[in-house]
Amino acid sequence: MSFDPATVAAFVDGELDDLTARRIAREAESDPALAAEIARHRALKARLTAHFAPVAEEVVPERLRALLVDARADTSLADRREAKRARFAPIHWGAIAASLVLGLTLGLKPWLPAADVTSANGTLVAAGPLARALDTQLASNQPADAAVRIGLSFRDKQGRTCRSFEGAGLSGIGCREDGRWALERALRGEGRRNYRQASSGALAADVAAMLAGDPFDAAAERAARNRGWSD
Amino acid sequence: MRFEEELVELLPRLRRFARGLARSASDADDLCQAAIERALKSREQWQDGTRLDSWMYRITRNLWIDERRAAGRRGVHSPIDEAATQVAGDGAAEVEAGALRGDVDGAMARLPDEQREVVMLVLVEGYAYREAAEILEVPIGTVTSRLARGRETLMHLLGEAA
Repeated sequence: MSFDPATVAAFVDGELDDLTARRIAREAESDPALAAEIARHRALKARLTAHFAPVAEEVVPERLRALLVDARADTSLADRREAKRARFAPIHWGAIAASLVLGLTLGLKPWLPAADVTSANGTLVAAGPLARALDTQLASNQPADAAVRIGLSFRDKQGRTCRSFEGAGLSGIGCREDGRWALERALRGEGRRNYRQASSGALAADVAAMLAGDPFDAAAERAARNRGWSD
Repeated sequence: MRFEEELVELLPRLRRFARGLARSASDADDLCQAAIERALKSREQWQDGTRLDSWMYRITRNLWIDERRAAGRRGVHSPIDEAATQVAGDGAAEVEAGALRGDVDGAMARLPDEQREVVMLVLVEGYAYREAAEILEVPIGTVTSRLARGRETLMHLLGEAA
């Protein structure tokens, strides 16, 4: 083989000038060692590309998109000033008060950020950090100190994708419905120290009762997440 | 196109790059989040007409390096990085290579940081050597030598069939 390894790599990376690239290609036709070396490099590249490609196909988590989409609403300094003025104009205080009252009557506390549960059309659904954990966290790959631990992911007898979770304040099972996690079971957590023992048994029994087929393995869980938990 | 819109379009690729650098999917998204926040804060440093993607990759990579160095100072060692430097020809590594066949994440994690980032930029993200050198702010020769070492280790760990 009359080409050094760096040149072969550069050939595979498309970094050579046309003339040298053509020489290598021609020589590879009659030099099996060179052809094999090129194939080896191509195989590695293809392998890595294929491995990471699905990440770019995943639904971008809302927490990342929101950083940019919210910022986009601020179009210009003048708009921002205008918006600021409007926000504090007296007439809007009425609207703010009304939304607070609405929040109170719904039993929500809109001034508390990041509640884990909210209500949508009469159904309890996951919100805030809990919804985020259910959306993105994989049981096979979660930090040891995660606030919410994902247990099993599975398809229930109604064909929904469901996930059990355990947290200090709340444990339960969320099932995917209309792009939200409807809370199918919700058990109050019993404090951080012993919440796992307290709720695991009851949850496991619930999961067993709802389960259709087997729970997802790590690959199926990841695939389901990458599809955005829909079919 | 507006700055934020371009960034939104870039997100899928940026997440892929971060996934190759960080140790877990959630670490990778944390890294992306920090990079977006940094980009929004220092957007006046980005010159219109220059490539936003290279600029974002550089921010992401620099934040990752900062984080890795901080972890090093906190005493969070990553023995696998140290092991990777002497992978070739080592008896234990031969055994390890067998166990890793098929595990791209495991093999990538065994690359030293400076090889992992080059492998991601060139082999996965498809940047030219010159572009990768600009993102990493190193000479082209450094890119090609790190890439060569990274490749060699990966081929070894993932098996001849790669």
